[in-house]
Amino acid sequence: MSKIAITNLNKLYNPNKPNAFYALKNINLSIEEAEVVILKGVSGSGKSTLLSLIGGLAKPSSGEILVNGQNIAKLPDIMSSSYRHKEIGFIFQSFNLLEGLSVYQNILAPLSLTSLSKEAINEKVSRAMSLANIEHKQHQTVGSLSGGERQRCAIARAVVMEPEIILADEPTANLDKENSLMFIDILKKFKALHKTVIIATHDTLFDDQNCIDRYVHMRDGEFVE
Amino acid sequence: MSIFLSNEIIVFLLIELILIVLMAISQVNIVTIVRYWDFNATTPLQYALEKKNYLINTILYFTVSCKVILFLFFIQSLNALSGIVPGAMCSAGVVGANHYGNALLLLKLLLIFGFGLWLIINKLDLGFITFPYLKRKYLLFTLLFAGVLGEFALEILYFSNIPLTVPVFCCSVVFQAPKLPFGYTQTLLVLFFYTIFGAILVLNHMKQTMASFTCNLLFLFIAYYAITYFFGLYIYEMPNHKCPYCMLQKEYYYIGYLIWGSLFLGIFFGIMPFLIERITQKSYDYLLRYSSVCHIIMALICSFYVVRYYLMTGVFL
Repeated sequence: MSKIAITNLNKLYNPNKPNAFYALKNINLSIEEAEVVILKGVSGSGKSTLLSLIGGLAKPSSGEILVNGQNIAKLPDIMSSSYRHKEIGFIFQSFNLLEGLSVYQNILAPLSLTSLSKEAINEKVSRAMSLANIEHKQHQTVGSLSGGERQRCAIARAVVMEPEIILADEPTANLDKENSLMFIDILKKFKALHKTVIIATHDTLFDDQNCIDRYVHMRDGEFVE
Repeated sequence: MSIFLSNEIIVFLLIELILIVLMAISQVNIVTIVRYWDFNATTPLQYALEKKNYLINTILYFTVSCKVILFLFFIQSLNALSGIVPGAMCSAGVVGANHYGNALLLLKLLLIFGFGLWLIINKLDLGFITFPYLKRKYLLFTLLFAGVLGEFALEILYFSNIPLTVPVFCCSVVFQAPKLPFGYTQTLLVLFFYTIFGAILVLNHMKQTMASFTCNLLFLFIAYYAITYFFGLYIYEMPNHKCPYCMLQKEYYYIGYLIWGSLFLGIFFGIMPFLIERITQKSYDYLLRYSSVCHIIMALICSFYVVRYYLMTGVFL
């Protein structure tokens, strides 16, 4: 069984309106466990929409998205939240961190919804910070960090719940080359940890990286060869 | 002056009207949802119905909860109306002002139980990914909505027929002509009250849902008369004051809300497991524990007034 199996997936925005358009058209995709997949395409090709559907942030117009055999498009809102919390690690282009909090507190945030002991929480946060190489900045507020450090903080937050699937939307768009290469290093760590990773990007830095299993090209909401 | 000009009735009917409009919108959508629902489908129609289902659930959760709360406001409004209805000293006079009052109150009580059942089924339904009770839940709501429309019509008839120039009968008539069903005496009534109360506790403990359902329905009837015609005398400390409403007033520390509230909740939790079992085919007999707790609270409060009166005076009324 595939980790993620997408069948006949469509996403129509603004239905029944003059400006209705299909962001995704009849998408079929199968992703195996521990596979690292790059979704490539220009802006507006449907990469982010596909990620948001896989991540349970939005519902499709038709079709199914099976994650571990469960159609997540059918999950009620409350279960969708639980799915996102436990199964998915999100890395966003604009980081989406809480500016006024420290690095440690940002990474701690997803764990505050669990019933883990203080020791277990500390251990998980430390492990995530170590993976993202940000532990030396743990007491600094996010507002005082550089772009690369913010991204590493966001990565640590994404993995602190130890999700099996990591979704990254243009993770290097706001980074310089040095920090982008650092992200590639972290990607290799994800691969070593057998995480299933899907990255939406048009950054050529990801081309020909040996840690990436597959490239999927998108245009106008469809897969292209 | 028309009774429709009183603040309580204006507010009450306006809220009722808003809730009915919301329920009517939901009902129209429910017809579409139930007609085309196929959970296994991944078509645009099914996804649209699922979105619509969330919206309707939210609206109904709000409206049904409001209807339950509105019942308390209705009781409070009746009490307030006793100030402008000539001859009425409490809600008894207002309810008995015409022959629609008691029918309306009974219908409201039945609907409250129905809404409670709907809220429980709704909660269970939303607890599963597949919405297993969706159609039954909406069928139940359709029945309740028909009841709500009937209730609204009855409310209009009731309020428009309350005489404001002719004095109505109030507790005074109850003082003079206490009527017990089937010619029961007070002793027999109290005996029945404690016997059925004990039976309910035993049946609830044994998780006999069907028997508890039957006993609770019977107890609703018996307890109403026992509280009004026996325990009420000790609450009011007057041998002829047989009124179910005065105990809701400040003079009696609003104890009526606790007595009637615990009785109705006890009945509600007593009859629900049987009904829920019929709808969901699953056991929810743990609700019977809540039923026992509520009934015990009600019986303790009622008995307390009798014991206290006896200790203070050395006689029974």
